[in-house]
Parts: sequence; C-alpha cells; structure tokens
Amino acid sequence: MSSRRRFRVPAPIVALVNWLVPGAGYLLIGQTARGLTIGLTIVVLFVAGILIGGVHVVDPPTFVRGTSPVASVLVKAPYIGQFLAGALGIFAGWIGPTQPASHARVSDIGTLYTAVAGMLNLMATIDAGYRATLAPADANDDDAQPTHNGPEAA
Amino acid sequence: MSAPLLLLLAWKPFIDPPPHVWDYWYLLPLPLCLGVSIVYKSIKCPSMKQVPREAAVAFLSIISGLLVAAAVLFGLVRFAVG
Repeated sequence: MSSRRRFRVPAPIVALVNWLVPGAGYLLIGQTARGLTIGLTIVVLFVAGILIGGVHVVDPPTFVRGTSPVASVLVKAPYIGQFLAGALGIFAGWIGPTQPASHARVSDIGTLYTAVAGMLNLMATIDAGYRATLAPADANDDDAQPTHNGPEAA
Repeated sequence: MSAPLLLLLAWKPFIDPPPHVWDYWYLLPLPLCLGVSIVYKSIKCPSMKQVPREAAVAFLSIISGLLVAAAVLFGLVRFAVG
C-alpha cells in the first residue's frame, strides 16, 4: 500500500505566480495546455497593445505629496488593468513614461489591448488559485498531472 | 525610395505606432476579440479539447454583436438624429 503524498502548491502561491507570469500558475498545478494557451494569449495581447500604441500607453500614476492617492490612480485608471498583467505591466510601466507618447485613437487602442490583457490575467489568476484548491480528480482537465506539482514527500 | 518605405524604415517598434496602422482601424478589434474568446473559454471549459470550437463560437458572437451595435448606431445617427 502506497502512503506517498504529493506536495501541492498552496493556492495563494499559485495565484501570485500566475499574476506575475500569465499562465504560470496553471503550469504549477500541472495544467500545461491550459496554462500555455492562456499565458501566450495574454502576453500576445499585451505585446500587441504596446506594438500598436507604443510603450508609452503603459503610463503609471505618479503620487505627489499633498494630493489624494486615489485621485492620482483614477487619473491614470487604465494602469489598474495594465498592472494586473503582472511583471509585463510593471516593466512596461517602468519604461513607458520615459518614451515619447503616441496620440489619439492609436494610443486608445494600445491602452485597450494592454488593459484588457491585464483584466484577463486577473480572471486567470482567480481561476488558477481556485483550481489549486481542488483535488486532482476534481480539476477536471485532460492534462491534469499532479505529479508535476512539486517534489514528492514520503 | 518611396515615402511609405521611408516611413517604415523610420518606424521604431514598441516606441512609435506603426505607420498607417489607423488605415486598418476596422481590423484592430479582431485580435482583441479573439484573445478574449480564447482566454475566457480556456477558463470556462472543463476540457481543453472543447476550447477551439467554443472560442470560435464566442469570437463570432462578439463580432456579430459589434456589427449589430454598429448598424444600430449608424441608423440612429443617420435617421433619428441627422
């Protein structure tokens, strides 16, 4: 009789990893096809947004002493969505303001692409975290491989 | 050298928008709708084998919705307002 238990990655870790690298949370719980499909799609959408509008479409808020932080965030509201794209959003937000801005509708389309990519990553992050709480049989996925979930404990 | 080629050579990807990209504005929603369909259906479907078909249906539904909304707005502007 085998009493071997497989290590399961905690749901908060899965969610955090999935936020940082879109789709990576699914890879941690063994759902490779789902992770690659979701991750690549989100990354392609985000990169397409930057390609269409220029990297300046990712423009994080600047916090100035004496002004309300909430008001500062609301002025740059699209960055809420872009930030949700994880490391990509943070990196682009670091570079973006130093580059020349694009204008009008092209900039709007680029902003839309990047913000939607981030919001899709939020959905995927919640889903990956939820799936990490399920037993492998309940994950109900064709490629669920719990053995990929980490080192085996005796 | 022709002007469009010069514009293309002067283009700095990821810094400047591609030249003449707005000439094709009507194609720009398509990749976005496709991406939304794929990610949404990858999350919703129990099996990944269902995703291509389900995502195609969702993609066509979104595009149909956009076309209907465009037609309604066009009619409203053309006949009700103008």
